Amino acid sequence: MQPWTKLLIIATAATVLIIAGSYAYFQSLIRTRLLISTTASLYETGLLNATRQAFETKYPINLAFIAVGTGQAILQAQGGSVDALLVHSPSQEAQFLAGGDGVCRKIIAYNFFTIVGPASDPADINGSSVTTALQKIVDYGRNHTASRIWVSRGDGSGTHTKEKSLWAKANFNYIQISAEFWYASAGQGMSQTLNMANEFEAYTLSDTGTYWKLSKDGTVSLVAFITETKDLLNVYSVMVVNQTKHPSVNFTNAITFMKYLISDDGQLLIDNYGKDTYGQSLFHSTVQLLKQNSTLQIVQWIKDYAFIKEDNESYECPPQYRDSRYPELYP
Amino acid sequence: MEVAAELRNVTKTFAEKRALDGVNVQIFDGEILALLGPNGSGKTTLLKILASILRPTDGEIHFHGVKVTGQNVEKIRMESTLVFQKTVLFNTTVYDNVAYGLRIRRATKNEIDYKVAHALKLVRLEGFEKRLARKLSGGEQQRVALARALALNTRLLLLDEPTANLDPKNARIIEDAIATTSRELKTTIVMATHNMFQAKNLPHRIALMENGKITEVGTSTEIFERLSKTLASFAAVENTFAGTARVSENGSTVIDVGNNVQVVAATKNVGEVSVFVSPEDIIMSKSRFESSARNIFKGKIVEISDLGSVVRLKVDVGKIFTVQITKQSFSEMRLNLNSEVFLAFKASSVQII
Amino acid sequence: MNMLDCLIASLQLSFSIDPRIIEITLRSLFVSGSAALIAALWGIPIATIIATKDFHGKFLIKTIFNSLIGIPTVALGFILFLAFSRETGPLGFLRLLYTPTAIIIGEAILITPIIVSLATTAIEAVDPEIANLAKTLGASESQASLVVLKEALEGVFLAGIASFNRAIGELGIAQFVGGFIFGQTELLTTGIWIELQLGNPGTSIALTVILLTMVFTINLALNTIQRIRMRGREWKSLLSSEM
Repeated sequence: MQPWTKLLIIATAATVLIIAGSYAYFQSLIRTRLLISTTASLYETGLLNATRQAFETKYPINLAFIAVGTGQAILQAQGGSVDALLVHSPSQEAQFLAGGDGVCRKIIAYNFFTIVGPASDPADINGSSVTTALQKIVDYGRNHTASRIWVSRGDGSGTHTKEKSLWAKANFNYIQISAEFWYASAGQGMSQTLNMANEFEAYTLSDTGTYWKLSKDGTVSLVAFITETKDLLNVYSVMVVNQTKHPSVNFTNAITFMKYLISDDGQLLIDNYGKDTYGQSLFHSTVQLLKQNSTLQIVQWIKDYAFIKEDNESYECPPQYRDSRYPELYP
Repeated sequence: MEVAAELRNVTKTFAEKRALDGVNVQIFDGEILALLGPNGSGKTTLLKILASILRPTDGEIHFHGVKVTGQNVEKIRMESTLVFQKTVLFNTTVYDNVAYGLRIRRATKNEIDYKVAHALKLVRLEGFEKRLARKLSGGEQQRVALARALALNTRLLLLDEPTANLDPKNARIIEDAIATTSRELKTTIVMATHNMFQAKNLPHRIALMENGKITEVGTSTEIFERLSKTLASFAAVENTFAGTARVSENGSTVIDVGNNVQVVAATKNVGEVSVFVSPEDIIMSKSRFESSARNIFKGKIVEISDLGSVVRLKVDVGKIFTVQITKQSFSEMRLNLNSEVFLAFKASSVQII
Repeated sequence: MNMLDCLIASLQLSFSIDPRIIEITLRSLFVSGSAALIAALWGIPIATIIATKDFHGKFLIKTIFNSLIGIPTVALGFILFLAFSRETGPLGFLRLLYTPTAIIIGEAILITPIIVSLATTAIEAVDPEIANLAKTLGASESQASLVVLKEALEGVFLAGIASFNRAIGELGIAQFVGGFIFGQTELLTTGIWIELQLGNPGTSIALTVILLTMVFTINLALNTIQRIRMRGREWKSLLSSEM
C-alpha cells in the first residue's frame, strides 16, 4: 500500500501545518494571555470589557475572560486551568482559599442586589425588609397556586447562592419551597431570568447592572422594590491561582492585573462605570474605603459579609493565604 | 515466430468457481487470435489476465520472455490494453477519454492532439472530440472505447466481444478498424467473439474454450474444416447448426439439425454437415406468408436486444435463430417476448461450413 | 422591545459594517473552513479505501462512521474540554484551551464522519469497472483510484459542503473549548447565544440572519459553480455536434 502511506503522510503533514499555522496566527494576535474565570453577571454588565480596554493600553498583556457561572469559575481555578478568579461569593471564596488553590484575595467592588417585580406589586412587598418581603411572596404564592410569583436563576451562580442564603435567613427550607408551583427556576443567565419574570409578572432577585440595562432598553417593565440593604450586599473580589500548587499559572501577570484593579486608576474606572448610560454607576470601589477603615455603615457591612473569619479575627485575606513577595497588597 | 505472450498452466479461481483451469497458450507476435466458446467458458477471464488486471491463482504469464511479477506488473500493463464488452467511458469528453492513456504515458499536448485525431479517424468519429462521451449512441460509445485503445498503439490489443451489442453498421466500422490496425501496425490482437463473420474473416488462429480450458487451437481454416460440428453444437457462433444432410425427392438437399427442424439448402451435400445462415438473410413476419423461400419456420421470440437502429431477436423454432430487423419494423409489428412469429430464408442463404 | 423592533434593529446592524460582526463572521469562516479542509484531507482518502477495497470488518467500520455522524456537539465539546484542560487534561500541555485552534480541531473531529460516510457512498456509486478500465489504459493503483474519485466528484463535493455546513453551525464545541472570549474565540453561533444572555436580542438576530444567509449563499454559489461546469461541458458538446 505504498501510495497510501504517502497519502497518509501528506494528510498528517497538511493537518499539522493548518493547525500550527492557525495557532501561530492567533498567537501572534495575542502576545501574553491571562485567563481569568469570572461570573457571567460581571461580564454581562460590560465592566470587564471596559477594564480590558483600559488595562491593555497600559500593559502588553492580553486579558481573556472566561465568563461562566460562579461555580464553574471556581472549579476552573481549582483545576489550574485559569490564572485568576473574579467572583462575588465570599463563602465559596473562603473555601477556595482553604483548599490551597488561591492566594492574595482583594475586594475590589461592591453593589447591591435588588428584588424586582411587577409594577402592580401583588404581594405588596414595597418598603418591607428582605425577610418580610420573602414571607409575603411565599404567602401570596401559596394562596394563588395557579400562577408563578417568583423566578430564580436556578443555575448555581453567585446570584443564585445569594438568593438561597436569603431564603435561609427567612427560615425557609429551600428545597421545599423551590419545588412549589409558584417558584419557577429559570436555569439561565440574568437577562433571561429577568425576561421570564417579566413574562410571568413575577418577582426575582437581580443584580443592579443587568436590571438597569434591561429596564432602560424597555425590555422589561419590572420595578425595583428593595435594594441597598445589608441583606442585599454584593461584593466582588479577585484572587490569583496559587503558583505553588499550580505551576502552569501565569502568576506575575495575574498579580499585575490584580494590582491594576486595586490601583487608583482601576478603582476610578469601577466607580465611574455606567454613569453615562444609567445616570449612576453600577459599581462602587472598595479599596479606599477599606484602607481608611472609616466608621461608615457600608464598611461595617462589607466586613461582616465579605471578610473571612480566621482564629476569631476577620480578614480581607487571612495571612496564610498571602504571598510574602507582595506585602504591598496588604498595607 | 516470436512469442508475444504466453500463459503457462494458468488457473484462476473465484470463490466457488474455477474460471480458468490449467491454461497453456502461446500468442505470436503480429497475429490475430480469436477466442471462441460459450458464455462462461473463461474468455473474459483469460483476456483480463492477459491485460494484467487480474492475477492468476496459479501459473505464470510471460510477455516477450519476461515473467510478470508483482513488481513489474504496472510497467507491463503499459504494453497491452483491453476493450471491455460492456462499454465503460469516463464522464467527460470524447477527447479526454481517448487522451487518458496518452496522458498517463506523459505524451505532449501536440502528440496527444495528433494521436486522438488519428484514432477517431480510424473509427470514423472525426470531429467528435468535444462531445460528451456518455451522450453518444451505444455504437458510437463503443467506437470511442476502441479509439481509446487504438490511440495507445500497444503491442498487444485485447478485445472482449467488441461488436456484441452493435448494429451492423457500427460493427462493420469496428471490424474495419481492427483489420486495419493488424495490417498496418502489425499489432498482436486477441479477441473473444460470437460473430461468424469475424470468426471466419479476421483471425489467423482460433482457440476454442470450454469450462475454463482451451480445447483446440489452430488456424481458422483448420478449425472450421475439422470442427464445424463442435462449433455449431455449443453455439460458439450464432446461427450455426450441425445436422445430417440427405437429398430429397425433388433433388434439393435437406439437413436435419434436430428438434424436427429441417433446413433446405441449395448446394448439394450428404452426411454430417454444419450449416450457417446469416441473420441478415432471414425475414420475419407475424403471419404465415407465401414466398419463394424454401425455409419457413414458426417459432417464439425468446430474447430481444435493442441495438439502437436495429433490434436483434432470438427466435426458437426448435433451434434458436438470431434475426435482425429495424427498430421501426419492430414497433410496427408490436413484438415482445413469446410473440409468435414466422421466419423465412432462401435455400441459397444456407451456407455449408 | 417587540419582535418587529428587534428585526429592524438587527437588519440595521447587519447592514451597518460593524467591525465586531465582521470579525466574528471572518473568524467563523476561517475556523469552520479549516476544519472542513482537515476533515477532507483525511476523510476523502479514508472514504476511497473503504469504498474500493475489501477487508475484514468493513461493515463494522462503515457502521461506526455512520453512527458518529450524529454525535452530539455538547458531548464532544465537553470531552475535548476535559482533554485540553491545562493541568488535568492529557493534552493540556498544548495550551490549546480557549483558542480558536481548539475549535478547529474539535470541529474537524465532528465533521470527519460526515465526509467519510457521504464520500464513501458517492464513490461506491461509481461503476466498479472504471478502476479496471483505467488500469487497462496504463494507470497505476493510485492513478486508478484518482480516476474513480474524479468520477465521484460531484458526490464528494456535496459531502464536503455538508461537512462545512455542520461545522459552521455547531455550538457545543465552540462553547466548551472556545469559551466566548471577546475578540478571540467568538463565532457566529456562540455570538448568537451570548448576545442573548447579554440582553441584546437585536444582535442575536443579526448574527442569526448573517449565519443563515452565509450558509445559504455559500451553498448556492458552490452548487451553481458545479452546474455551470456541467452545463458548460454540455454546451460545448452540443455546439461541436451541430457543426
